[in-house]
Amino acid sequence: MTTINFDKVLDARGLSCPLPIVKARQEIASLQPGQVLKVLATDRGSVKDFQGWAKTAKNILLVGQTTEMIDGKEVYVHYVQKVG
Amino acid sequence: MNEMTTSNVRSVTPEQLKHELDRGGKPFVLDVRNEDEFQQWRIEGKETVETLHIPYFDFIEDPEANISKVPKDREITVVCAKGGASEYVAQLLSERGYRARNLAGGMIAWGNAHQFIEVSMAREEQPDIVFYQINRFGKGCLSYLIGSAGEAIVVDPSRHIDEYIKLANEKGLKIKYVFDTHLHADHISGGPALAERVGATYYIRMADAEGAQFSYESLRDGQQFEVGNVTVRVIALETPGHTPGSTTFLVNDKFLLTGDTIFVKGAGRPDLGGQAEPWARDLYRTLFEKLAPLPDDVWVLPAHFSSTDEQREDGLVAAQLGEIRRNNAVMQIRNEEEFVRSVLASLSEQPAIYGKIRKANLGWIHVDEDEMIEMELGKNQCAASAIPTRR
Repeated sequence: MTTINFDKVLDARGLSCPLPIVKARQEIASLQPGQVLKVLATDRGSVKDFQGWAKTAKNILLVGQTTEMIDGKEVYVHYVQKVG
Repeated sequence: MNEMTTSNVRSVTPEQLKHELDRGGKPFVLDVRNEDEFQQWRIEGKETVETLHIPYFDFIEDPEANISKVPKDREITVVCAKGGASEYVAQLLSERGYRARNLAGGMIAWGNAHQFIEVSMAREEQPDIVFYQINRFGKGCLSYLIGSAGEAIVVDPSRHIDEYIKLANEKGLKIKYVFDTHLHADHISGGPALAERVGATYYIRMADAEGAQFSYESLRDGQQFEVGNVTVRVIALETPGHTPGSTTFLVNDKFLLTGDTIFVKGAGRPDLGGQAEPWARDLYRTLFEKLAPLPDDVWVLPAHFSSTDEQREDGLVAAQLGEIRRNNAVMQIRNEEEFVRSVLASLSEQPAIYGKIRKANLGWIHVDEDEMIEMELGKNQCAASAIPTRR
């Protein structure tokens, strides 16, 4: 697996829909174009939701999605890059 | 009260929404799930439900542009997967003067809700009978509770076994027998768990349950069961086709609980066990030979419906055999070869999850609550018809 560099982490673990995306959008606002936000989420639905959001939003790009085991729990990880 | 206030958005329960739909209500649904989930299944009513699909993240990204797509003169029922995103969108709409309400618990709650409908015609012949069709409408799954004078039988219970215990308690009935008409592939059976909880005996035919990791009694053709002192007489009929062990129950010679053998429209698909052709032949013999002696006035009470037009005015999914013999497309093909060909041609691909559900229903694998919710998402796809749908 290729490693994705990121500039900021949003811990959205334990938050249910729609909060991971609401908070990710707030965080993206504080980033510079080209910077990447790493989002940790425990809501399985976030996988499809980040894909959908990235298609809708004009200033972001979904550059990677993966899962990590953190504290014995599967975590869904989304990498969102601010563009333009 | 079915409407309540959470945050400052009104919400509606699945049962209340279903009640409105059954009474001819025409809600306007704003579905805010992602595309895949929306394509997979949605809120259905007797008549087409007017539905607008805009994913919730579109509202987050550009609230004003998306809100302007929503009609302002209608009451908007907002729907999502679990009820959180829809509440968020309903709030956005309410703040701008729209009449918006949230479907509490979203499509998961819709898929888990149960509606109790009395099989009222049973009482004309036996006034003290308690006979309910339990409609898990989001999935299109039907189950039954039949009781008399303190005792009851439950057929094809969902995994939400408290629903049946509650109903039995309300009616003063002790559940004595629990039956599964066959090994289900579309939902997790509550049969073994319900029987264990209430101290009843669980029955399924061995042909379907061989190797199961729980105790059961095998149903035998012609076997009779009685509950209550006035007796509800139940006869098990071997009716293979959907599965080799499919069993139909004849109650008081008048009500036929057909499982997935025959529906109001269509019949049970014969391909779920990977032996489509021989099972389609079994289905043919079941429909045209085994059930042939039953008179036209017998009521068919199936385990599923596919579309809400299988529901009668009173909400019950039922039809008399005569009507089914006349109108059900599957029953029109009297030639065995043609029947097998047509049924096989009508089959859509079976959902990939069905194999796992069968394993769970045999007790071969254990799944937690979250997994069960995910495995059961969407409407059942257990029916075959005589109308080709294969793409």
